[in-house]
Amino acid sequence: MRYAIAALILTLVPLTSPAHHSSAMFDKSKVIEVSATVREFQWTNPHVWIEISFASDAGAEEDWSIEGLGTNSLFRMGWRQNSFQPGQQITIRFNPMRDGSQAGGFIGAKFEDGSTLGRWD
Amino acid sequence: MRFIAVFNLLMLSTGTFAAELPDWTGIWARVEGNGGMFDVSTTRPPDGVAGAPGVRQYPPLTEAWEKKYQAALDLAAAGRLPDPISRCGTSAGFPRLLALPDVYEFIVRPEQTWIITENGPNIARIYTDGSDFPADEDLWPMFTGYSVGRWEGQTLHFRTISMIGGPQTILDRSGLTLSPEATVETKMHLTDAGLLRAELTIEDPLALSEPWHVTRHFRRLPPGTRAYDYACAENNRNPVTDAGQTLTLDTEGNVIDKEIVQ
Repeated sequence: MRYAIAALILTLVPLTSPAHHSSAMFDKSKVIEVSATVREFQWTNPHVWIEISFASDAGAEEDWSIEGLGTNSLFRMGWRQNSFQPGQQITIRFNPMRDGSQAGGFIGAKFEDGSTLGRWD
Repeated sequence: MRFIAVFNLLMLSTGTFAAELPDWTGIWARVEGNGGMFDVSTTRPPDGVAGAPGVRQYPPLTEAWEKKYQAALDLAAAGRLPDPISRCGTSAGFPRLLALPDVYEFIVRPEQTWIITENGPNIARIYTDGSDFPADEDLWPMFTGYSVGRWEGQTLHFRTISMIGGPQTILDRSGLTLSPEATVETKMHLTDAGLLRAELTIEDPLALSEPWHVTRHFRRLPPGTRAYDYACAENNRNPVTDAGQTLTLDTEGNVIDKEIVQ
């Protein structure tokens, strides 16, 4: 299995809402942690988006969209517009969508040099 | 109109000169959180987040408004309460704009005070130039209403009327609303701890059986903190359907959601 679902890690609150919309679509009782490749980083409002690819259980490459807060709050938290770069290898945690679609609410990311963004305890 | 006359007389008799105005410069953030719950003091459970199932506040609602609130709470619990600000087109409105995430600026001038929210953005203009409320025929329902105030020492007193009310200006994602007949009296001042404190008394002959008292605080962020442009429609990949569902779009604008509520 290429990614792990860690159930009931309730301390890992997503860095997604509530600025713009309800976070009801995310299953906050589940956390997916996956090693992924960054395809695109959208440094935009009302949310930033980290577009990633990783291999599914069946071995097929899947594209997922991970949603974060807006640029302004994240900038004040230390994020920058080049925090994620295409081709970068990362480990990322997020709350998946309740309906199983390929998107999620960002929790945290760990980079190859050991540095992290978001919540990574 | 008796209130307006007395209010105006007070303003003229207690005018504060520019040199005496308080220092509210800098960038501020809300203290009370709970995902934006408007009245945190009556929120149950106390750590409940707006929009989560079972989370509500307890204003002194009339029977009719309690029914409206229950209906909204049911929608919120199902993840189908449409939040107007998710559509990126309208102001959060007053008094919700005192409970938003992101940061605030409070611009104090002798003739006006502006409350500017980064999220939205929203601007509340509070006139302290001694002018009165416009005549009824020159007022119409507005998201932030119309505010007239006065300074009493270091405290800004203002009254807000002519708010649009209803579901276009929910107070938070639990879905509470006020009616277009609501009025708000607000006192704002710095506390000894350096917080900016807003004490609101909300009256509404349709929604409230008695005045509702809500207090909110703001903390000053470190020097050098900046507010930035926030264009909500820049890349809104979360449109809201007529059924109140918040969708998620991919980079090409295609709906990602597997389940769409009709």
